Amino acid sequence: MLELESVAKAWHPRRGERRELLQGISLSVAPGETVAILGPSGSGKSTLLRLIAGLETPDAGRILFAGQDITGVPPERRQCALLFQDFALFPHLTVQDNVAFGLVEQGLARAQARAQARDMLGRFGLERFALGRVWQMSGGEQQRVALARALITRPRILLLDEPFSALDTALRMQLREEFRNHIAAFHMATVWVTHDAPEARAMAGRGMLLEQGTLQPQW
Amino acid sequence: MLRAALHTRPAPGAVIRGLLAAVPLAFLLVLLIAPALRLLLEARATGTDAPGWSALWLPWQDPYLRHRLLWSLAQAAISCAASLALGLPLAWVLARLEFPGRAFLLRSLMLPFVVPTLVAALGVLALMGPGGLLARLGGPDLQGSPWLLLYGNLFFNLCVVVRAGAESLAQVSAARLGAARTLGASPWRAFWRVEWPAITPALMSALCLVFLYCFSGFGLALVLGGQAYATAEVEIYTLVAHELQLGQAGALAVSMMTLTGLVAMAYAALERRLATPARADRVLRRVPDGLWPWAGVLAAVAVWGLFCALPLLAIVWRAGLAGTGAGDVWAVLREEDTLQALWNTVRFSALALVLATVLGLLHAFAARRSLLLRALAYLPFVVSPVLVAFGLLLLYPGWTGSFWLLVVAYALLAYPFVAKSLAAALDSLSPRYGEAARTLGASPWRVFRRITLPLLATALRRGMAFAAAAAIGEFAVTLFLSRPEWATLSTLVYQRLGRPGAANLDAALVLACLLMALAFAAFVVIEWQAPEEAAHA
Repeated sequence: MLELESVAKAWHPRRGERRELLQGISLSVAPGETVAILGPSGSGKSTLLRLIAGLETPDAGRILFAGQDITGVPPERRQCALLFQDFALFPHLTVQDNVAFGLVEQGLARAQARAQARDMLGRFGLERFALGRVWQMSGGEQQRVALARALITRPRILLLDEPFSALDTALRMQLREEFRNHIAAFHMATVWVTHDAPEARAMAGRGMLLEQGTLQPQW
Repeated sequence: MLRAALHTRPAPGAVIRGLLAAVPLAFLLVLLIAPALRLLLEARATGTDAPGWSALWLPWQDPYLRHRLLWSLAQAAISCAASLALGLPLAWVLARLEFPGRAFLLRSLMLPFVVPTLVAALGVLALMGPGGLLARLGGPDLQGSPWLLLYGNLFFNLCVVVRAGAESLAQVSAARLGAARTLGASPWRAFWRVEWPAITPALMSALCLVFLYCFSGFGLALVLGGQAYATAEVEIYTLVAHELQLGQAGALAVSMMTLTGLVAMAYAALERRLATPARADRVLRRVPDGLWPWAGVLAAVAVWGLFCALPLLAIVWRAGLAGTGAGDVWAVLREEDTLQALWNTVRFSALALVLATVLGLLHAFAARRSLLLRALAYLPFVVSPVLVAFGLLLLYPGWTGSFWLLVVAYALLAYPFVAKSLAAALDSLSPRYGEAARTLGASPWRVFRRITLPLLATALRRGMAFAAAAAIGEFAVTLFLSRPEWATLSTLVYQRLGRPGAANLDAALVLACLLMALAFAAFVVIEWQAPEEAAHA
């Protein structure tokens, strides 16, 4: 279970200026559950994900996983995968090395990691790209690689930051179904940030609206 | 309480940056700032009739020194204006038109960065000096006129403006340009109202650099300026090395440093503003389809030939001509002195390059969020090599003739190239890559090893290539700090140039060809990249 207890974060647009971005946010997400966070741009949705991932530290409050306080744990030890809007695939690595990245970090031998990466790419129908470079792929293919890269290390928490915002409508519809199936197979606590309400309803069993720093249940 | 205490503690990133900054800052302090301050004190203590701080105004009160300073400013300003007037149209043609040889032209504009100063100066002399190409074609011998120095300045600096202009023009949004056209702007008006404002920061930054190079350049002014058109930088050298007027030299140096420091700050500020991610809606280059576009291409090629290619061709031509004369001029290449100088150049440059790379890396990472630190990386560009060398001699007399002092001085002059190239690449490196790697289990060190360093490799190699070229061509510091047995190729060229007779000039030309070949070879080897990598870069 992922739990946020009264998490607060302020934003400093300029020196001496302070804006409360998140005010006492509390949220719990069970393994296998997907929660959608909706909200207008600038409402702090991405910051919330970055706090859970450990890329930023909260000003107040705690983040817990399975009852353990992980607020001070660095991102590489949280087992928490984050999918970025712009995919953030590594341009200097091949597609299979992108997917194998996390396994190598876990200490797996490179050859073994690559073999597993190719298997994973096979599940996404992308094995033909294994030795190619990411910039040779389309947007939809890149986002699939990003999900494959995130899932291969079997994270406990999956965070998706508007994963389809850079893609066209037809592709979004297609990927929704595909992503839902892949995510369901891994039984993780999933937080899906979007500003697209139909997408949120399609992907998540529970929806929350982030507005003026607080979370309101939507469904 | 504890939480409050935790939050007043500096972030780990800031601590790491502080530690990274400590090494290059200590290096700058010991090898640049302390010697400069020592010179300042020297200026204050021995400042002729008016000792004390007022002595620092001496260069502006003395008519002769004031004239030197004003000429230095004027030649730098004229060079800036001419670089802009000639460079902007050339940049536009390169950015907007697709024609055969375009890629070659763009790439060859990097040559002047690699050519050692002395080689370029000899090239200008071979073209316009006594017995030069121009004189042989019935034109005037321009030695003793300001044109030699101005032309030399253009050779080195036109490419700075052209590259900056072409790169920033390529970033102009096609959509905005299209919007301006549909709203009734002619191509000319669209250029002034959309393209010009978009490229101004990049051009201004390039002009700052041109100004710095021209104002505080030494080698070119020493060889091409002559007595009448010597710049303040050459005057400092003359005062120190020939007249032993240390106080006057120090006072003049302080005036120079103040002016260059201001320009360097402006440059650093502009550079940081330029960091924008690459644009997706670039303006597509079109094939020239009429008389005017082709005339533009021809004019661009003419400007390139006249200001970038001709001096280099002239030097090869003169060296070739010398080889066909009575004596065997090329025998100079087999002389023991030459081989020793070649070995010295290679070993000093290689050692300096290693040191410069480490310092450049540390400085670029430390300066990521600090304008002041970033500006400090330009200090070695700002403070003249002559000044550095002289300050070092005054401050550390015990190290005179020390091998390592010479190597670190080389590194000091070369490392800003690495730092500058890396800082620009770091600006455009998306933080997402590192964050994605962290969430995939990589520690900060592993992120550096597996993500940041490989992504910066192209910029690092380019910076190192320029640093190597700078080290190979260095001669101001070598003149001061070297022992006779440590003569490098560039000092050998300078020595030959100072001796009377045509044979010595010919030998200097041949040695300059060797020096040029060495600088090019080092540059190509270091900067070479696999085609796939190049396509991505």
